[in-house]
Amino acid sequence: MDLKRVKIIYFKEMLDTLRDRRTLISMILVPILLFPVLMFGMSGLVVFLTKKAEEKPARVMILGKKNAPYLTERIFQDEKFKIVEESDFKNAIKEKRIEAAVVFSEDFERKIEKEDSAQAIIYYDRTEVKSDIAMGKLRDHLRDYEDSIVTFRLKKRKIEKSLLYPVNVKDENVASKEKMGGFMLSMFLPYIVILLALTGAMYPAIDLTAGEKERGTLETILVSPASRGELATGKFLCVMTVSVITAILATCSMGITAGMSFAQMGSFTGEEAQISIKFISIVVILILLLPISALFSSLLLSISLFAKSFKEAQSYITPFMLLVIMPAMISFMPGVELNWFFAFVPVINVSLALKDALLGSYNWGFIGLIFVSTAIYASFSIFVTKRLFEKEEVLFRT
Amino acid sequence: MRLLSTSLKPTSGTAQVKGYDILNEPGKVKKEIGFLSSDTGLYPRLTAFEIVTYFARLSGMQEESIKRRVDEIFEILDMNEFGNQKIDKLSTGMKQKVSIARTMVHDPDVLILDEPTLGLDVITSRSIIDFIKSSKEKGKCVMFSTHVMHEAEKLCDDIAIIHKGRILDVRTLADYRKKTNLNDLDDIFVKIVGE
Repeated sequence: MDLKRVKIIYFKEMLDTLRDRRTLISMILVPILLFPVLMFGMSGLVVFLTKKAEEKPARVMILGKKNAPYLTERIFQDEKFKIVEESDFKNAIKEKRIEAAVVFSEDFERKIEKEDSAQAIIYYDRTEVKSDIAMGKLRDHLRDYEDSIVTFRLKKRKIEKSLLYPVNVKDENVASKEKMGGFMLSMFLPYIVILLALTGAMYPAIDLTAGEKERGTLETILVSPASRGELATGKFLCVMTVSVITAILATCSMGITAGMSFAQMGSFTGEEAQISIKFISIVVILILLLPISALFSSLLLSISLFAKSFKEAQSYITPFMLLVIMPAMISFMPGVELNWFFAFVPVINVSLALKDALLGSYNWGFIGLIFVSTAIYASFSIFVTKRLFEKEEVLFRT
Repeated sequence: MRLLSTSLKPTSGTAQVKGYDILNEPGKVKKEIGFLSSDTGLYPRLTAFEIVTYFARLSGMQEESIKRRVDEIFEILDMNEFGNQKIDKLSTGMKQKVSIARTMVHDPDVLILDEPTLGLDVITSRSIIDFIKSSKEKGKCVMFSTHVMHEAEKLCDDIAIIHKGRILDVRTLADYRKKTNLNDLDDIFVKIVGE
């Protein structure tokens, strides 16, 4: 194999690929824009809508006002509620005319006076966010009321409130903000890196094989002095470059976006998290990205080389993508840990090792093993790709 | 033609191009030939100049001689006007000129041209025919397939009549005329195929 010729083919394929709008979109635009749009869009929208729903007074119907006049008055006074009258409260909730209804039992006031337990039922629709929020507001209000009653009853008996709570349980999260950020990132990032390494390689792989068949340029290059091996290698290196660039861009974009987006979500959920990826974690991502990108690039090249057209290649690749996406999602699963078996399972091994690295645990033995095993799979796959380039029945499939 | 260009392998037998075996030395064969057919397309996102330079580099030419040769061939084929335009912006005739330039850039001794004037206007077609003629006069071996009989009359020393994948006869135009007592190659072709 003449390496100079491989270099010529590689640079030409890169030039050709970088002029392809589809590849540019999937290589640069998607990884950069996907996360800000997805995360800011999603989490931002959720925060915005929830806040809006919380600020707006909930339309509530009270049944049995006479049974609990004091409590009814309290709810009336509360700005969080707007009291509405309806004939059929359940239907009104279903038809979204009101968000919730509260029913006080007939003996409510009497039981409170007797220092017994009175009943109040809140009706709401759990599938509706606004209704769910209204229920929460009502429950909080009733709990406040309940609390004041308890305090009153205890005071009457000259009992300290602490008697009711002999054990004061508190939980304290010792994980630092960075670790919390790492924990969140460790679920998303491995999956995203693997997915983008795959989708990044997809368009150039199809374009440089089935696309060339469609345009009739494959035969042009086959009659040039370049050997099939040189051709396969040049194309493979080009696809792999695009795959690696896509995944790196995705990692950067995800890191930056997640840092801002989790902070936004954190203020909403009360969890504080700070995203910062350690340099060593980036090194691990890069180390493992190379063989997995090589594996994807060669597999995608082989699959698309077999196809007669761009469309046919896309239909072959769709099931293959599912085969990669499912194991890549293992990073989302709690409790699944990297072991000797998983270290040899492609995609799963990289996903779990990246997860560990982002959590700050670097098992270099496993990382080395995964690099080597994935590199071996990739080499085998490259060998198959090269063989396919030598097969007339694949190249000239009609 | 595809077998000689080494893009396909023969099921049996072999052939030699300039003394190189198509089975054992395909790399050397490919350096010696320039192959053009309707299936040899061009990269639509590259310019005419980039494509011709790319194929010159692949054939192992040095950068200085590439520049000289590309300038020369662009001049001969009158391609300077559209040299820096992308292929998908070019007309059929312009594209065919780029294909010819791509075939000829490494100055091969053997040219295998499969219907090079197919679908072209008269002027472009004539300039390509003239170019092939001058290549022949420079001593290159040109293998030329066509359905346009007057092109064969104009260009060929030896004419092979192929029908249903088989060569029916090979001889010079004069010999065909003598054999069939006909003057026009169209008539000669129909007569031989009909036999």
